[in-house]
Order: sequence, then C-alpha cells, then structure tokens
Amino acid sequence: MKRLFDPASAAPALISMAGVTLFAVLFLHAESQSAILGLCIGMAVALFLLARFGWNALATASFAGHSRTAQASVVAGVLVIAAVFYDQHFPLLMLASVLLYIVVCLGLNIQFGYAGVVNFAGAAFFGIGCYTAAVLTNHTALPHLLVVLAGGLMAAVIGSLLILPVLRTYGHYAALITIAFGILFRVFLEVNDALGGPQGMKLPGMEIFGWKLNDGLVFGETEISFYANYVLLALAMAAVAFMLVRRLERSWIGLALDAVRLDETACAAFGIDVARWKITAFTLGNFLAGLAGAVYAMMTGFVAPNSFTFGDSLILVSIVLLGGIGNPWGLTVAAAVVVMLPEKLQFIQEYRLLLYAGLVILILLFRPGGLMPRQVRDYLPGWKP
Amino acid sequence: MTLGLLSQYVFNGLMLGMIYAMVAVGFTLFFGVLDVIKFSHGDVLMVGAFTGLATYLGLEALGIDSPLTQLLVMTVVASLSMALLGALIAKYLVLPLRLAPPLNTLLITLMLGSVLREVVRLFYPQGSNPKPFPRLLPADFVSFGSFTLRADSMILLLAGFAAIVAVHLVITRTKLGLAIRAVAQDAETARIMGINFEFIVLLTFAIGSGMAALGGLMNGLYYNEINFGMGLLLGVIGFSAAVIGGLGNIYGAILGGFLFSALQSIGAVSLPALFPGTSTAYKDVFAFAVVIMFMAWRPTGLIAEKKSERV
Amino acid sequence: MSTLLACDGLSMRFGGLVALNQLSLSVNEGEILGLIGPNGSGKTTFFNVITGIYQASEGRVDYRGQDLARMSAQEIYRAGVTRTFQRSRLCLPLSIFDNLMIGNHRRLDHSLWFNLIRRGAFQAQFEGQYAAAQALVRTFSQSLSVRLFEPAASVNMIDRRRIEICRALISQPTLLLLDEPSAGMTHEETRELMDDILIVREHMPGLAIIIIEHEMNVIERITERCIVLNYGQKICEGPYARVAADREVQEAYLGTE
Repeated sequence: MKRLFDPASAAPALISMAGVTLFAVLFLHAESQSAILGLCIGMAVALFLLARFGWNALATASFAGHSRTAQASVVAGVLVIAAVFYDQHFPLLMLASVLLYIVVCLGLNIQFGYAGVVNFAGAAFFGIGCYTAAVLTNHTALPHLLVVLAGGLMAAVIGSLLILPVLRTYGHYAALITIAFGILFRVFLEVNDALGGPQGMKLPGMEIFGWKLNDGLVFGETEISFYANYVLLALAMAAVAFMLVRRLERSWIGLALDAVRLDETACAAFGIDVARWKITAFTLGNFLAGLAGAVYAMMTGFVAPNSFTFGDSLILVSIVLLGGIGNPWGLTVAAAVVVMLPEKLQFIQEYRLLLYAGLVILILLFRPGGLMPRQVRDYLPGWKP
Repeated sequence: MTLGLLSQYVFNGLMLGMIYAMVAVGFTLFFGVLDVIKFSHGDVLMVGAFTGLATYLGLEALGIDSPLTQLLVMTVVASLSMALLGALIAKYLVLPLRLAPPLNTLLITLMLGSVLREVVRLFYPQGSNPKPFPRLLPADFVSFGSFTLRADSMILLLAGFAAIVAVHLVITRTKLGLAIRAVAQDAETARIMGINFEFIVLLTFAIGSGMAALGGLMNGLYYNEINFGMGLLLGVIGFSAAVIGGLGNIYGAILGGFLFSALQSIGAVSLPALFPGTSTAYKDVFAFAVVIMFMAWRPTGLIAEKKSERV
Repeated sequence: MSTLLACDGLSMRFGGLVALNQLSLSVNEGEILGLIGPNGSGKTTFFNVITGIYQASEGRVDYRGQDLARMSAQEIYRAGVTRTFQRSRLCLPLSIFDNLMIGNHRRLDHSLWFNLIRRGAFQAQFEGQYAAAQALVRTFSQSLSVRLFEPAASVNMIDRRRIEICRALISQPTLLLLDEPSAGMTHEETRELMDDILIVREHMPGLAIIIIEHEMNVIERITERCIVLNYGQKICEGPYARVAADREVQEAYLGTE
C-alpha cells in the first residue's frame, strides 16, 4: 500500500472518506433485508482486507497529518448523503439522529473517557433537554435558540445536584448514584401529570430567526424534506462540539482530566484540583447531552418517558466503549453503526440491547481500548519537535 | 391510621427489608473479597426466580404436586444453578479484569446484567410479560383486629433470617469463612499463606449468588408475580443498602436493607399525607433521594468501608 | 546556611497507632538530608504529612514562614515542595511529556478560554514547556529526551524512575522529597541515577533534598547529614559515618539481643 500511496499526502484520508460515504449511501438506499445484510458483510470483509494490507495505518497517518482537510471531508460526506436523499424523510431523520447522538456521546466521553467520572444516566440528561424544550415551547414564547441553550443549562444544573455525592465518593458509588437518578427520572416523568405522564408531550417544530425548520423547501417541481434542515443544524452542532472536545483533549485541561482519572493521589501531590476537574467534566458533558436533547425533541415533535430508560443510557455508554474510550473519532463511527444498524436491519431491532451489551463485554475482555483505541495526546496536530 | 394498618406497613417493610438485606449481603461479600461491585447481582436474582418458576413448571409436568417437595426442589435447583452462574461470572468476567481499571469491572457486570435481562425477555416463553408465581406456602392467617398475620409471610421472613444467619455463621465460624476473611483483609498475604485465592473468590461469588436466588424466590412467593425487569431495581436497592450500611460489612448490609425499606414505607405513608395528591409511586424517588443525600454526607456508610491504599 | 524547613513536635496517629511521635527536625537550604530507619519507622508517613496527603495530628512544620501542617496538598505543592513515590505513580497510558507536565501544573494556564479558543497563545506556551522539559530530561538521559511523546508504559524501570524525578523537578521546587528512588533497580542503575541527581543539583542551587533510602552506600555517597527514625521518633542525627557507628541505630536495625 505504501508504494501506491504516500502516507504524507491527504489522498488516503480522502479516499477513505469517499468510500465510507459511498457505503453509507448504498446502505441507506438498500430496501431488502438481504441487500442490507449483504452490504454489511461486504463492508466487514472489505475493512478486514484493507486492514490486512496496511490501509488502516496509512489512513490514520493521513488523517493525523491533514486533520483540517480530513474533517472537512467528513462534513462534505454528510452533506453528500443528505443531498442524495434530499426528498426522503427516513434517511434524513436517521442522519440527524446520528449527529445528535454524537453530540451526547462526546459529552459522555468527556465525563468518563477523560475525567473518569461515570455517568449511567446519559439518557436521563438527554431527556432533561427534551422535556425542557417541550415545556418551554408549550408554555413560553422564548426564542428557540434560547430554548436549546436552556435545555443544555437545565441538564447541567440538575446534574450539579448529583455532583456532591459523586465528588465525595469513589467510582462505584458514582455509578450507583447515576443509575438511581436515571431510574428515578423515568419514574418521576411517568407519574407527573403536568409533564404528560406516560403519554408524554407534543411540541412544535423549531424556528430560528424566522427559519421554520419544519417547513420543507420547494424549488419548482422538487421538494426537499424538512428533515434536511435538522441535518444541517445537527451537523453544525456536532462539528462545533467535536472541534471543542478535540481542543479540550489537546490542551492542559485534557491533561488535567486524564491525570484525575488515572491517579488522584499523584494529582493532589502536584496541585491538581480533582474536584474542580470532575465538576467541569460532569457539567460540560451533561450540558452537551441536554443541548442535543432539546433539538431532538423539537425535531421529532414528541417526548415520552419511554425514550429515556436505563437501557438507552447503556446504549450511549456502549457507543463510547465500542468506538474506543477517549477517542472522538471512534465514538463517531460507533454512533453511526449503533443507531443506524437496528433501524435498517429490522431483525436486530428487538435484540439490539443484547447485541450491544454482548459486544461491550467482548470488547472489555479482549480489546479494552475499543475498536479504535485512543492514541497518545498530540497537542498540536502536525507539530513536530 | 389504625394500629392494624400500621402493623401491616411494618410487617410489609420487614419483608421487603429482608429481601433487600439478602441482596445487600451479596454485594458486600463480593466487595469484601475482591473490591469489586458486581452490578449484575440483581439480575442474577431475577434469573434465580425464573429458574425456580421453570423448575416448578417442570415438576408440575412430571406430576409431582406436593407443595413442600416442589418448594424444596425449586430452592435447591435455583440456588445451586445461580451459585454456579455466580462462580462462572467471577471466573470468566471478573477475575480476568483484576488488573484493569476498576471501571471496567463495573462496566462488564453492568452489561452482563443487561444480557441476562434481555435473554430472559427474549428467550423465556413470553418473557416480556409478568409471570404468575405459584402460591406454595400455606395460606392460613390469624387476624388481630384489622391486622392480618399471614403464615406464608411469617415463613418467608423466618427463612430469610435463617439464610442470613447461616451465611454469617459460615463466615465467622468455619475454616472456609476464615479463608474468606483472610482474602478480604489482604489478598496477597492470604495467597502467600497458602490460601487458594481463586477458589475462595469463586466460592464467595457462589454463596452470594445462591443467596440472591433465595431472595428471588422469596420475592416471587411474596408477590406471586415475577418479571424480567425486577432485578434491576432490586439490584440498585440492594447496592444502596450495602452502601448505606458500609460496603464490606455484613451487619451494615443487613442494617442498610431494613433502613431502605423503612425509607420506602415512610415515603409511601408520609408523602401523600404531607402533599395531598402525590402518588405513592414517589416512595422510591423519596428513598433514593435520601440515599443520595446520605452518601453526600457520609460517603463511607454507617460502618466505614475499609480503606487501604499505600502511598 | 539558613533553615528551610523545621518540624516541631510533629505527630501522626492512625487510631491507636502512632506513626510519628513528637518528631522535630530541620533541613537547611541546599542540603541533601538522608532519612533512614527500619521498615515501618514512619519515613514515608513523614513525607505524606509534609506534602499534605495526611493531616498531622499535632505539631507544626515551618517552611519559609508558613505552616505546612495546616496547608492542603495543593498549597504545599504551590509553595515549592514536590516528591516522588515509593511505588511508581506515573500515569502509564499517557506520554512521557504528559507526565512531566502534570508536575508543572502550577505554571500552566488552565482557563477554558486560553485552552479552547486562543490556540496561538497555547502553542507558544506549549513550545516553551516542550523546550524546558527536553532540556531537563536531557540532563538525565539523552535517549529518553527524544522519546517524550511515547507512552510512559513503553520505557523500562530506571527510565520511569527518571521521569518521576523529572516530574518532581520540572516546577523548580525548593524542597524535593525522594522516597526510595533505588527501589527495584540494580546497583549500577542506582549509581547512574544518583550521578544524575548530583548533576541536577548543580544546576539548581538552593534546592534541598530529603531522601529515604535503604541502600546505605547511596546514603553514604550523596547525603551530607542523616536522620534515623525508629517507631516514629528521631533516634540519631549526624553525618553518615557517625550515625552508622551509633549503638542505638544498630540495635534498631538488628534488634536488641
């Protein structure tokens, strides 16, 4: 492979992204279950062969050396997929969902990928964002951008109620507290009539400065699905969140978070304020989850307690672990697979929690770094001593 | 509120407390020997209850219909098979991760809990629906005014008490228990002294899981219904109880179990009284909120967790 | 020579166990002080008290007009006291450079704005830190100084020990506490490491070092003065030759007949 392509050029990264985009288009386009299954198996075999011939190392080097180009190509890939399915609701809804899941998982990644603060209530914080949006859009005339922000802030504030017990205790207690919180959150929603009880609430579509996201654009004969608007919004959110998380990792803050996760005693000896960084990570992570939740609620137009179960929180955790804990690229790929696979391959839908939980067990036993393990911190991409 | 109703609440609370204590003892045992939390514990309890139910159905099919025989066989089959499951979990999922970050053990057992839940939901015939659990205990009762003392409840309470006392005696009075305590104190030294570390760990997991199976059966016999999701909440409650009491301490776990059920009863009685219109479903919200506040106040529980980190 | 650190009546009790008993000692600026004594005599506890990991039961630790016994670990580090640990406490999955920067935490800008938005300024600070880290590591090992972006897990025991010492030195402390630096190393490796420490000290005049060590030839070679602890009490003090000849010290090590 190295003879064919120069690892220092951007070509391998761009070719990889083009391949992934093509696959995604075919995958979303396929209708019959056998075609989808065939595509997945074909992709798995292709990935295996490419890895055998050294393509992965080549692409990784190329991605690392041209991070801006590579990131732009990912954004372009999403836009291409959106353009191909411009008039179909379902693929666009899925695409937007994947992008919002990426935002949530980036948040979880800050929490337990970097700071080591466990959070098994990811779906609950996402749900707080959803319900905040539902209540605010139904009862106030607050501009929708502020509603989204309020969703994030609400999740961060409610999260801060848990921070004291999380800080004062060790890992396993924090796990207990977040699990208990997640379960309680759902019980609370189900018995609370003001929030619609088990039936949940409806809410209107989003509107930003007069741009009604629930109205599809019409150009003469061609009509564009309104979900395309949400894809654009979610893409912008995911891109910004991704960039900020990446910068966070590649900074002194990222280092302090890692140190907090790895050795609290050493941290204390070198003046690193463990509590400060745990609070920062926990709050930032919940903020991102709430932000994504608010947009998701307005996109689907409906919230109900059943979408925020403990099982959903576990799926979020699975995404982070399968992709490679601490690696934003890993969780991006894992989010796409975990969200889309059961939607397209119907027979998996029922078994998805079993499948992902089983996969995570295998990963933890045999490849604890995840499918795309995190690399050593590279403060400035492309920087050489 | 009448005295009769009050004693009914107390009795019900004792019953729940006993089940919670049985789960909590498991958590505390595992934490004691290996410093790990086995989050799948509640789901092992659930699988134990389903194993008991399946055994009952098998016995019925064979035409064995003496309730006493059925009960004995169910208890033996459920607790032994869960003991085996517990040992297998320890051997293949917990021990291999001994050197990995503690977070990984937590995650793997959490995921295992999901696997157990999903397997029962998907593969037990109509597993996603609640299952009626047979009434096998005598239905006699004595009434004192408005308070009814049911024989089956008394039997369950005594059985739970006997199980906890038995485990306690094994741990404090036998050579085996001495080995378990030695491993809990200092695994390295215990190993050097010739104690088979792995065997002791597996055995401890087997004892704790067998105990969970008993808890599952008791739960089924008391409510006459089991479902695939019952383990999740029972597991979280059992863990909370162990934490309130102080992880690693058997007395703490028992105390924590009864305290948690007391909190639930207080919540169920006082919330609707204080805030008319609130549902009794908030009793769990109340109990957990108190636990969360308690943990912020006293992170190591009522009877402090052992802490031994060499710097 | 002026006094840098002076303990007075320092005690540390864990329940009924007395780990430090009314300990009084002083360290001068620029001095290398050896702290010796049998296992369990309270040496590491002394370090843990001085660095704020344990809170002293009573007594004071006067350090440049401040009382370390009343300060948090963070404040003590900021006041210029750093340490190494008996068991290596490097963050093994992180790079060598990352580990060094953990030691320099007090000199780094941790604001969100600086780290996330002002990447140009961040780059300047990063480059300065890189140059300093490389220069420091080079005094210990040339080969190690070109491997700064490899995981700490990838280097051998002596290099890990070097990284740990560099992590304690990079913030330019005034008092360095070394807890058994020779543990797990061969005589030859220990000798090399001590040479390095002596070189570093030439570059950092005024740096005082307290070293806990069981290798008596190390103590003999590099310390100017020794203090012997037994059961949390000081039983002897003076140059190594005199301490080694003391009857009480020999009894403490060998046990009384």
